[in-house]
Amino acid sequence: MGKKVAKMGGAARARGVSSQRMYHVMMLPGMLFVLIFCYIPMFGVVMAFQDYVPAKGILGSKFVGLKNFSYMFSLPDVSRIFVNTLVIAIGKIILGTLMAIVFAILLNEIRCKLFKKTVQTIVYLPHFLSWVVLAAVVVNMVNLDGPLNQLLELVGLGKINFLGSNVWFRPMIIATDVWKEFGYNSIVYLAAITAIDPGLHEAAAMDGATWWKRVWHVTLPGMLPIILLMAAMNLTSILSAGFDQIYNLYSPMVYQTGDVLDTYVYRMGLISRQYSFSTAVGLLRSVVGMILMLTANGLAGRFTDRKIF
Amino acid sequence: MREMGKCRKLWCRQVSERPGTMRPTTTRRRMMTSAAILAVTALSAAFLAGCGGKAETPAAVAAAGDGPLGAYEETLVCAAGRSTIANPKFPEGDSYEDNAYTRYVKDVLNVEIRDEFEANGADYDRQVSLAIASGELPDIMQIGSKDLLDELVENDLVADLTEAYEEYASDYIKEIYDSYDGRCLGQASYDGRLMAMPGTNLDGAPCVTYIRRDWLDKLGIRIDEDGDKCISIEELEMVAAAFLEQDPGGSGKPVGLAFAPYLTADDYGGSGYTMNAVASAFGAFPKVWLADEDGEVYYSSTSPQMKEALGKLAQWFRDGILDPQFGTRTWDDITALLTNGQLGIVFGPWHIPDWLLNNVRAMDDEADFAAYAIADGEGRVNVTHSNATGGYMVVRKGYSNPEVLVKLVNLYFDEMVNSTALAEEHPDVYDYINQGVDGTARVISLEVNAYTSLLDDYEDIRACVAGEIAEDEVHTAESRSIVESVKKYVENPSEAGVTDWAKNVSRMEGVALIDRMMETGKFCWETPVFYGVTETMRMKSANLGTLEEEMFVAIVTGSKDIGAFDEFVATWEAQGGSQIRTEVQEAVFGEEE
Repeated sequence: MGKKVAKMGGAARARGVSSQRMYHVMMLPGMLFVLIFCYIPMFGVVMAFQDYVPAKGILGSKFVGLKNFSYMFSLPDVSRIFVNTLVIAIGKIILGTLMAIVFAILLNEIRCKLFKKTVQTIVYLPHFLSWVVLAAVVVNMVNLDGPLNQLLELVGLGKINFLGSNVWFRPMIIATDVWKEFGYNSIVYLAAITAIDPGLHEAAAMDGATWWKRVWHVTLPGMLPIILLMAAMNLTSILSAGFDQIYNLYSPMVYQTGDVLDTYVYRMGLISRQYSFSTAVGLLRSVVGMILMLTANGLAGRFTDRKIF
Repeated sequence: MREMGKCRKLWCRQVSERPGTMRPTTTRRRMMTSAAILAVTALSAAFLAGCGGKAETPAAVAAAGDGPLGAYEETLVCAAGRSTIANPKFPEGDSYEDNAYTRYVKDVLNVEIRDEFEANGADYDRQVSLAIASGELPDIMQIGSKDLLDELVENDLVADLTEAYEEYASDYIKEIYDSYDGRCLGQASYDGRLMAMPGTNLDGAPCVTYIRRDWLDKLGIRIDEDGDKCISIEELEMVAAAFLEQDPGGSGKPVGLAFAPYLTADDYGGSGYTMNAVASAFGAFPKVWLADEDGEVYYSSTSPQMKEALGKLAQWFRDGILDPQFGTRTWDDITALLTNGQLGIVFGPWHIPDWLLNNVRAMDDEADFAAYAIADGEGRVNVTHSNATGGYMVVRKGYSNPEVLVKLVNLYFDEMVNSTALAEEHPDVYDYINQGVDGTARVISLEVNAYTSLLDDYEDIRACVAGEIAEDEVHTAESRSIVESVKKYVENPSEAGVTDWAKNVSRMEGVALIDRMMETGKFCWETPVFYGVTETMRMKSANLGTLEEEMFVAIVTGSKDIGAFDEFVATWEAQGGSQIRTEVQEAVFGEEE
């Protein structure tokens, strides 16, 4: 019996390979891309343990052990950068997910198709614009002469220099990122809602459940696996707080609350040419990121039976 | 004349892939299959080919024509890294790669310049860093800092120019470099080998304060009563407050004083929009290494004088005289404040009218600027002697014709300057000089001038404008062109063009100011003791620089009080500053017994 199953499995696999050959070939460029740009450069982490000199290359540069790491931990900047990265990234994940879920539920209730489509298109739009463009928009909105500050002054709250304030910079970064992405992120939640059996809603309505009760007891539980899965997947990006956004909006004034790992590594590595040092910071980031990702994957498996890998 | 702090940002583009949803019919599917396989194969091949690395085909050495300006028999192609500015004022159709200056090179030397990359200000430095990191340098490029040259030389990436210089540099060019007594070439030499052509830096000058003269007149403000061209900090403050309160530009959103977020600069040319002028009035010279009377070196950014200067700025920020958006206002934003008539006081090197303030005049033909120096409490103007070297041009190691760089220097800084027949032989080049097309349009945007050339040239111009000498007694082509402009402007200000106006302000206000101070002995000179890079600096100066920048901004904007300056000094010392100071001390005065 077992043998037969195995044989059948083998046959199915063989058939699968032949009928899927085209798909495998189509995957090839992507695999090559990953190999060339993700795996081969990994050998570069050796630089973190060297005093890397470009002309001598990785093979010729001198090994210095953990010197770069000890220098890194002697800098007060580094803990600050980890804190900034975590606060901004977690803020974005939580608020972004919440907004997308709420928006998906509300949008699902709209019956007028034209209105629904229009709203969808409008909220998707910012996702497709680069932060370079949007940063200019944001700067003009929130600077001291901008409409937002004029409004604040009108209601008597006084002007706030959002881009230069260590109190307001993080909220502003999180809020603008949520604004840019919530529409696009809601697509997957909309799909999850559509997948819920309408019979459940009908039954609940029959039992006298209000709209609010139906959302709470039918829609949300139905979406839960997807929500958890998405949250787990987002956790993997917890150490990238969004380079292009922050780079285009920050200034020395808000390094204290806005300088994140990516911007720091970029400034040190490429601008100040501290190759080894910035590789060390990058390596630390990867290690912490991997631990978080494994944890998230474990949690996802525990709560939803769906593991990412 | 590099535009410092121009910061156009690079970014990462995210590519999102979405699965296609089309369902082809069977026949179409078969066709698509073969097409897809074909495409995939081609793509993979391209990828693999890209992996193999660039084939090194050594270019045939073009036969170098003899003499300083010897033309090549066959056209020599030279890939260059070009430092650009936002508004070089090219005539219609010209570009950095193809303009009168590059065509001039083609005509005379038979060298074709191809731009490997063109970038602006801070972006240029980034491009250079990237080129070094990737190991693919252009044939010739300009670099700004000694630190970078050290790195290139250590890594054996640049060609030795010793022989090329000896053999090809013209006598005039050699004379220019000799006027610096080896202080200029010395910085580009390593163990006696010349590894770069250094740009020259004229001696120090005060960071000039340009104030809208038309606004002063409009509001009836009188400063500099004794006419010595010096104003005090109090006078500056008074003018800024008046401009802020009375809004002479009528913009509705006036700003008193504005500074770029980086606040300080370590070189004269880059001092635009910085607090250097204000700092010097307190006796502080940001980012400069000085020695006190006891022979102890110190870093002026951490001196008590610097603290005082920052305290002043913080007070201005509290009072609203200093731009409330300071810290987030970029270089471009401040330029916009000027051209919009919101800001009427600007700090920078004497030549900003030529490339920056001309934009203000172009928007408002009433606009005019007067130049002042800020004096300290005792009425003296504090200045540091400049580093004799201003930037370097290097040739990639392995390039077939390294001498081409020396020939370019000969062409631009000897032939072009001294030729009396330039107007007839190369009218488009002559027009460029007259129209004030920016120096970055030359392949070499550094300057190579004799030590005293600024004031020598000014003396020529002044005497000729005053009618004391005839026009053909003026030494250089550029000076002759300036004389024409100044005359045009002086005779009929309302008819003269923006360039004429700019040349008049930069020379007859800016340089005149320096000339005047030299004569009256107002200057109080300090000599920096060290321009190089020490071992510890290499590792730690990036971090210390960020610390300095961040703390200064925090102190000025009041998010830290002035007491935090002492905390900054302590942190600076602890994070490597004291070690660097010891190294500088040793480098300057030798090992201590």
